[in-house]
Amino acid sequence: MRFQNPTRTASSIAMMAVLTGSVFLAASVTPTQAADFGPVQPEKFDVKKADIGKRLFYDRRLSGDAAISCASCHDPEKGFANDLPLSKAYPGSDGFRNTPTLINTVKRDAWFHDGRIGTNLNDVTRESITEDWMMNMDMRIMQERVKQDPIYVNMFKEAGWGEPSNGKIRNAIPEFLKTLTSRGAPFDTGKMSASAKKGFELFKGKAGCASCHSGPIFSDSQPHNTGVPENPDIWSDPMRHHTFVAYAMFMGVENYMNIRRDVGAHVRTHKADGSDIGKFMTPSLRELKYTAPYMHNGTVKTLADVVAFYNNGGGMDPNKDKSLKKLGLSKTEQANLVAFLEALTGDPLTGPAHVWAGTISTNYEPIANWRNVPN
Amino acid sequence: MKNAKTFNVIAAAAFMSTVSFAPSAVLADGHAMGPDINLPLAALGNPPIAADNPTSPAKVELGKMLFFDPRVGGDASTACSTCHEPKQGWAFADGFSRGYPGTVHWRNSQTIVNAAYYGKLFWVGSASSLEKQAKSAAKGGVAGNGEDDIMEARMAFIPEYRKRFKAVFGTEWPLIKDVWRAIASFEQTLIQKDSPADKYLAGDKKALNEQQLRGMKLFQGKGNCIECHNGALTTDEKYYNLGVPAPERWDEDGLAQITFRFEQYAKGNTQEQYRKIKDDGGLYYRTKEKSDLGKFRTAPLRYLKYTAPYMHNGVFWDLREVVEFYNAGGGTNIFTDGSMAKSKTPLLKPLGLTDAEIDDLVSFLEAYSGPEIEMSPPKLPPYAPLPMVSK
Repeated sequence: MRFQNPTRTASSIAMMAVLTGSVFLAASVTPTQAADFGPVQPEKFDVKKADIGKRLFYDRRLSGDAAISCASCHDPEKGFANDLPLSKAYPGSDGFRNTPTLINTVKRDAWFHDGRIGTNLNDVTRESITEDWMMNMDMRIMQERVKQDPIYVNMFKEAGWGEPSNGKIRNAIPEFLKTLTSRGAPFDTGKMSASAKKGFELFKGKAGCASCHSGPIFSDSQPHNTGVPENPDIWSDPMRHHTFVAYAMFMGVENYMNIRRDVGAHVRTHKADGSDIGKFMTPSLRELKYTAPYMHNGTVKTLADVVAFYNNGGGMDPNKDKSLKKLGLSKTEQANLVAFLEALTGDPLTGPAHVWAGTISTNYEPIANWRNVPN
Repeated sequence: MKNAKTFNVIAAAAFMSTVSFAPSAVLADGHAMGPDINLPLAALGNPPIAADNPTSPAKVELGKMLFFDPRVGGDASTACSTCHEPKQGWAFADGFSRGYPGTVHWRNSQTIVNAAYYGKLFWVGSASSLEKQAKSAAKGGVAGNGEDDIMEARMAFIPEYRKRFKAVFGTEWPLIKDVWRAIASFEQTLIQKDSPADKYLAGDKKALNEQQLRGMKLFQGKGNCIECHNGALTTDEKYYNLGVPAPERWDEDGLAQITFRFEQYAKGNTQEQYRKIKDDGGLYYRTKEKSDLGKFRTAPLRYLKYTAPYMHNGVFWDLREVVEFYNAGGGTNIFTDGSMAKSKTPLLKPLGLTDAEIDDLVSFLEAYSGPEIEMSPPKLPPYAPLPMVSK
């Protein structure tokens, strides 16, 4: 069921949930969207390689000036996101979007709020490490830093990878990301409250949420314009605004000095009429309790506010998706929806399986007998 | 050494009667042809100004601000001046330049003073203009580590720069290429041509004392320094392997080892070379000719008093050490002893200089430095939001 399909109805959405795999629906429904709502299937992963990825994830030496790691923005205590409306960025810049969670990111088809990477997490890793306002790392230096650390050298060897290389680093981090899948949410364990159960019915039915928030992670991995208001802090703060300009320049957005709105998925499709401006990728609805504030720019503080936003038919935008309409949900219905959304949050991924135990030194020991051993 | 320019050859031939045509005619860097003529020492004139980047006081002033502005760099903490610090001879007073945060460089930072005169810049001549040098340094992973888009974007949020770029370059928004052009114009003002040696060469026979004059004679005679350090620039701008020893820092410092390998990787070495090499391959990285392993550009001699340590890797901490190195006929490294190459220039031979003669030579070298060029960093203009223009 595509969000853009004007003929869809609440009943067909409900049908979709039960008729998975139906030949009748297959012609108009993508596999992701037709899938059951949950639970999230764990990914198979290579323990040793994922362990390398885990250490790399928490290692500040993966950024150009060794000031930040992946975890600086993707904080395990905050659902591998963080609580700032707009993310931090590499030193010297500041962010212009909310940090998305990495939990279940392995289940996505496209990444970043604008969906600019639609290939795989290896590319996402490369983009995040090398982009000048994210980690600004020359990956050749990264490789040599990792090769300088005997702990990594040993881990790579033990994992059957030989010596560290930047290509393997880009494989190791996605291997770790495979471990970040939701588990234990009341929705999955059958322990939802009565209110949450009512919320689920609304979600599939009257509220129409499921038309975009579908599948096990509750996302169709498609861009939509819901009219989320701009975050004025981007445009009033030169540290954020210049970062946006650099991004827009790099992404080939026209007139980048004069725009004052986040173009979103326009960077995927570059439609000449600009009708794709302001579309953002449907986020997953899992682990929301850890990841406030919400929306691509962090402008909505609570889940109650999110539900109220959609109850009002979304925001104001000339390109807003026409299928967003006022929902007429009562206060109780809205509360039920919030209860349902909260029931999609599982166990925190804050234990040693997901957080590197101990500190990672940013000092480098010299290689002994340097002149007589191969580089 | 050899210079293809006819004018220079004639001028030199007319002046230099004592300089040999020497075995060096077939050696040197292997590229030149024709007789080996050493240009006479001469006073320095004004630096050349590229026709496509004419200077103006406003451009120089803007370039000065940009030279000191760390926002022209990756994390807004390193400016040109970070590694070319006015108080450290417009260079950096350590063997290796300090490098971008989280890194160390792998070569000695060269002074900006008189950079405007040279045909090529960096230790192996990898930049052909001041503009290109500035750009490479601001973007290099162990130098400025900046990217064009973010640096250009930052400039747009500094109202004072918008005004100045518009006045100087006529653009609505600052362009990154004009950042390099303005910096080049500023660097053309950092010149030293009033050293005692320059005054002497310009005709003031009292500008050098007795010792310095003895040193000058040795420079052109027994020391044969003029073989490469010749002409008004005191450099033939060619490349030689002198056998400068590899710095011990590579044996002792993990950070330096990282950069060493990164450079082998980044410069397009073969896998075999990457594994094996344990010293800076120099000109080889540009030409990929094995005969160029370990070669570096003849360093100019002005402003030396302020720019210790010396050589491409900063292994010598004073000028006496440098002269003693040449007196011993240069040194050895993996590009001289055959373990990777045998590219040492045969021009270097033990000189047999006495201690007193070494002192004389050092005093002459010091006479190529005039007053220190002092400058306080300019006050840098702040960021400000752009007006809310609706699209």
